[in-house]
Amino acid sequence: MKCKHSRIRKLLTLALSASASMASAQQAHFSDGSARSMTMPADRRVLPESELPPLPEVPTGFFDSGLSETANQSSYTLDYLLQLAAANNPTIRQARRQISGETAKALQAGLYPNPILMYVGEKINSDGSAGEFQGFEIQQRFVTANKLQLSRLKYRQRAQVAEHLAIAQQYRVSNDIQKHFYQTLAASERLDMRRELLKTAEDTSVTARELYNQGQTTLPGIRRANIDLQQHRLDLLNAENEFAEAFRKLTAVIGCDISLGYIDGNLRPQRALPTFDAVYAELIDNSPEVLAARAKLAADHTAVRRESVQWVPDIVVQGGPGYNFSNYDPVYNASVRLELPIYDRNQGTILQARNDLARQREEIRRIELLLRERLAMAYRTYATSLQHATEYEGVIIPERQRAYEELLQSYKENRVDWPEILDAQTALFTARLQQIDQFRDVRIQETLIDGFLLEGGLMAAESSTPPGHIDSVPKPR
Amino acid sequence: MTPDEDRRQFLKLGSLVAAGGLLAGKSAAQQPPSAAGPPVPMAGSHAGHESAPQPQIPADSDVKAEYDGFSRFKPSRGNDPDSEFYLGKRVPGFRSVEAGPAPFEAPDLTKLPWKMVNGAKEFHLVPMAVEREFLPGYKMNVYGYNDTMPGPTIEVNQGDRVRIIVTNELPESTTVHWHGFELPVQYDGSETLTQNPIEPGKSFVYEFDIHEEGTFFYHAHVPMQEAFGSVGWFIVHPRKVFDPPVDRDFGLIFQNFFIEPNQTIADSWRMDWNWHTINGRSGPYTTPLVVKHGERVRVRLMNFAPMQHHPIHLHGHTFWVTGHEGARAPKTAWIPRNNVLVGIAQATDFEFVANNPGDWMFHCHMVHHMMNHMTRQVGPRIRKNVSVDQYLANTATRPPVDASRDDPGFATPGYPQEMKSMNMSDSMMETIWNRREVQGMRAMWPMSIMGLMTALRVLPEDLYHKVMETDEPVDKGSVFEEIVRRFGNPDDYEPGKMKMMPGMKM
Ligand SMILES: [Cu+2]
Repeated sequence: MKCKHSRIRKLLTLALSASASMASAQQAHFSDGSARSMTMPADRRVLPESELPPLPEVPTGFFDSGLSETANQSSYTLDYLLQLAAANNPTIRQARRQISGETAKALQAGLYPNPILMYVGEKINSDGSAGEFQGFEIQQRFVTANKLQLSRLKYRQRAQVAEHLAIAQQYRVSNDIQKHFYQTLAASERLDMRRELLKTAEDTSVTARELYNQGQTTLPGIRRANIDLQQHRLDLLNAENEFAEAFRKLTAVIGCDISLGYIDGNLRPQRALPTFDAVYAELIDNSPEVLAARAKLAADHTAVRRESVQWVPDIVVQGGPGYNFSNYDPVYNASVRLELPIYDRNQGTILQARNDLARQREEIRRIELLLRERLAMAYRTYATSLQHATEYEGVIIPERQRAYEELLQSYKENRVDWPEILDAQTALFTARLQQIDQFRDVRIQETLIDGFLLEGGLMAAESSTPPGHIDSVPKPR
Repeated sequence: MTPDEDRRQFLKLGSLVAAGGLLAGKSAAQQPPSAAGPPVPMAGSHAGHESAPQPQIPADSDVKAEYDGFSRFKPSRGNDPDSEFYLGKRVPGFRSVEAGPAPFEAPDLTKLPWKMVNGAKEFHLVPMAVEREFLPGYKMNVYGYNDTMPGPTIEVNQGDRVRIIVTNELPESTTVHWHGFELPVQYDGSETLTQNPIEPGKSFVYEFDIHEEGTFFYHAHVPMQEAFGSVGWFIVHPRKVFDPPVDRDFGLIFQNFFIEPNQTIADSWRMDWNWHTINGRSGPYTTPLVVKHGERVRVRLMNFAPMQHHPIHLHGHTFWVTGHEGARAPKTAWIPRNNVLVGIAQATDFEFVANNPGDWMFHCHMVHHMMNHMTRQVGPRIRKNVSVDQYLANTATRPPVDASRDDPGFATPGYPQEMKSMNMSDSMMETIWNRREVQGMRAMWPMSIMGLMTALRVLPEDLYHKVMETDEPVDKGSVFEEIVRRFGNPDDYEPGKMKMMPGMKM
């Protein structure tokens, strides 16, 4: 159990194990030859039950054993899963490390250069002496033009970039959790619908046998019903596998193992989003990606300032006491050095920094446009699925429901055939299945749009430091 | 007999005696024997044939109970197929010739009133869209006349002059054809061939002398309107009353419609038909023909189905076919039958002496016409312990299906063939039972009269009086049981079940 919250290890039954056993119970019913108990002599039958095409076996070739874990019944709420993820998702910790890394660079960049202690022996063997100067010297570089402060400021600003990126990473994770949460929730509701559809398919095969006994269908008719039944069983298995996939993806983003279980939530969207323009304005004002890019622009400004003072020579003062073995007297050395910025006035790097700054301006614009592009797609998907969901909710499902009820009522009055009811039932449950997908799509897009379109909760947390020459010097500046 | 059998016989007899006593007791309480009206001689203390009142000829009639071996009061054929009275051929009803023709009665239909205007009987006939209740609660949209489908009966005498002012209230043009009349061609009602169609809101006046007698009808001469119900009786009483005279003169119009489930509008384009009506009502809402024991009865039966012929069968009696819509046949051409095929737009008159008391089926013999809407017998209604109510109770999910098929019936190819488990609502049952014509019939009789079916009730005088001429309550099954007591073998009789069980035969 890797999960920190091991106390909530809850083993959950998926009803599919129950449904599998039900189906096999029915299989037994079909094949156990219960017709034997009938009182009619077997030879009077046109086609005994045993000679009807048998019902297909319940699929047994491969079964995802993870799905059949016997377990307690418990459920996970979205809030709880988000808490788990906050504590366990590695990328969130990575993101925090990125901030600390930048802060550490700021510390390092602002450190004053150390003095250098030297032993100096000069002109050794002059006049056969040990040297004109043997002694100790101290050298100290005096940094000019606020270079260190500027370097520190630059990395502090990069730490701010990292903070925005960490917020973005949190959104990536929480968006992914919500996305997978709704996918899992939808998958479990789809399972319910698939079970209803399977019951209808089972009824269809029973009905085919009843029709056969009345001369109203043929052996191919029974075979068609068998095929239909088996396809619905496969559809149910598919729905189970989808559920397992969704749940496992969810646990992956959370960052710890929790057992397959029920999802406690409501798939129905509760509200409608504002207009595209309003959403987009909010996005460029507050998206962590945009904020990070803007913060990075500030850091790049500082980089330009920093590189612009790089040519201002530091003053290096050096000196110290020694002994002159030629004259046999204590002497002192002293020097002051200054690099003359005649050829290298750091022109290239300044230019590079300016280009970086200009590039970053374009980067902000690029991110804004990329957000617009992504929002366009998300908004379209959101609008389409919400329109569908609304009409399915308001018109299509109720109409299907009423048609089904009216047909049932007509059947009660001996006015329609049962196969017509089965068709109406299939249509109703299929529409509900489609509605689940629509709700799911609404919820996913809603989550993304609300969450600044950020996804990828398992992508490595982004660094605020771009790759480049300036930062590859031994001492960060 | 074993003691068990003894006991069973005793119980059967006892229940019949009790039922008879109940009927007698109630009527005795309300109507002392000294009061006017037929005697009610049933007594609780007696059982068996001896105690029953014997059928009698009314004092004011000079007919006989028996003619050449044919008895008007019990099933009989007579002595000689060549006799005028063989099978009751010319056995007169109680009514005298001098009393004129017996009143024409088309159950559940109205008559079109007329006024004498300028020497002609003037009728106002209005083609219109009509709502007709085929069964209680099943109000169907069809075409008819003057708010009814079939239209009201036009009833005149041979030699009359008629003027029929037709005012079209349909949203489409129409004409009216007077089926069978030898009239001036301009009034024949054939659209375009003889007249311009009557446009919506417009009128057309038909006027002609009637020299025919017999069974006629009128209908729209627009095929789809015919299929939609635009028809009515046109009965002409003969100047010289037909001999032998009848006591009853019934008219029944048989029709077919196709109306989808949850629909009320008939689909006149269909080639098959799922609703069947007699005078605009479907069994068991059709009104039985109630007659007195010993009466001579005429039934005029007209088939106005769009596409199908009807073999019409009357139980318990042999009838004479005395004519068709063209004219009354000379007696030498009459033929005795139990079943007669009535083709589309044909009418058949049949006559018989009601010499066999009881409730007799009177129906089209096509099995698909003996129900209202054929459905395949698969699904919950043939499954054990399953009802469609379980599905209706919760439509968010559906009950699982038991695939075992262990009903022994499945060992028999073709099972099931009965129409099972139809629900008739209580209010529907109440409406069906709420008519005097059905009082005292066996409990659950409505389960047996479906589609193109009705009943002929032949009742002894006293029971007829009680059922048809009083408002006294009559227990379910009591009249039938009394008839069994008087004319049948009560030892072998079991009363009808009072309550419909799920899965009971329709
Ligand atoms: Cu028929």
